[in-house]
Amino acid sequence: MLIPVFATAHNLSGANARFVEGLDGLAVIPYMYLGAKHMVTGYDHLLYLVGVVFFLLRLKDVLLYVSLFTLGHSITLMGGVLLEWNVNAYLIDAIIGLSVAYKAFENMNGFKQVFGFTLNARAAVLIFGLFHGLGLATKLQGLSLSADSLVINMLSFNVGVEIGQALALACIVVILGQWRQRNSFQKQAFAANTVLMSLGFMLAGYQFSAYLWA
Amino acid sequence: MNTETSQIVVLQTNKRKVLLASSLAFILAAAILSVFILPAEFNRDPLGVGEALGISGLSQPGAVSVETLNKEEAAFHQDSVSFQLLPFEFVEYKYPLSKGSSMLYHWAVTKSRSGEASAVSFDFHGESHEVEDYEESYSEGEGDHEGGTLIAPFEGIHGWFWANHGAEAVTVTLSTTGFYTESLEFRDGFVKKQILK
Repeated sequence: MLIPVFATAHNLSGANARFVEGLDGLAVIPYMYLGAKHMVTGYDHLLYLVGVVFFLLRLKDVLLYVSLFTLGHSITLMGGVLLEWNVNAYLIDAIIGLSVAYKAFENMNGFKQVFGFTLNARAAVLIFGLFHGLGLATKLQGLSLSADSLVINMLSFNVGVEIGQALALACIVVILGQWRQRNSFQKQAFAANTVLMSLGFMLAGYQFSAYLWA
Repeated sequence: MNTETSQIVVLQTNKRKVLLASSLAFILAAAILSVFILPAEFNRDPLGVGEALGISGLSQPGAVSVETLNKEEAAFHQDSVSFQLLPFEFVEYKYPLSKGSSMLYHWAVTKSRSGEASAVSFDFHGESHEVEDYEESYSEGEGDHEGGTLIAPFEGIHGWFWANHGAEAVTVTLSTTGFYTESLEFRDGFVKKQILK
């Protein structure tokens, strides 16, 4: 498979991938590290998390929403790998991009203002979690895994993803917390979500183009 | 449609503002995609701006050369050998190839005395360096010649086993070109390694 250079920020990069393919049998720490690295350097997952926790003031809510997201992506990460679903990585990444735009629109209270109703934000974060997990599954499937230790290696990758997510979230929550205390937050928040939405559209367009032409 | 979301702070906005911001977000994304990302990443230049900015096809040549470098680490070589096999003799001849490396090959068998074509048993296969005892057969059976291209599906040694089950001595002649640096001949319990120059 031809892996274009531009995709290396998001895919498991060539050298890492070749290292893992060379591994035989159990490799808990390497897979854990790759899972964490994928999450910390995966700007699409990070942007979505920023959108999700943008207006969550209480730690309790942050934990609830992030748990739903984790539940969603763990189901499809493991299901996708074990049942050998062959979904197109670019299309899934395009949907992940749209999830960022969706979340920004929801943060703007867009559904109520434009369509006159609101969607269940918890259900949405769970459902988009399922898509993010499918994306993770395609990345893991891209590394021809050896079958003998598949389950343990996959679980290690998943644990790594959660560690990476926790690290990234800690930074996001601290920065957002500081920002919220400023008076200008209300004004900047709207602009920030507009930018977030635009980045989501860009990611979606980028991945869809890659699906068509890469 | 629920009331639970009310515990989340949402922005005080109105329909016009949201629509305006969403359109702005979409237009900005479309503009950056068509001016920068599509020309640079996919060599598609809908507005012709990418050409003017000199970023068209920015990632194309790099992507191709990295791919090529990864695959063909070894140098390009040619190799021609022949073996004489007496009745019930056999030989194996293989090349170490990295995953994705390619090799063109052709072999033919003739009776040593008369030069007529003669069939042998053969097995064209690879043995993995990564997974112990893993072997994969690419083609096997009885025949007096075969040719084609192999793209090594894994890192390991790839080559042929020929056995003469006939009553007359035969000569196997093999010619290959590909990205290998050495050859291995397995015969009579010995391995003969030859560095190709």
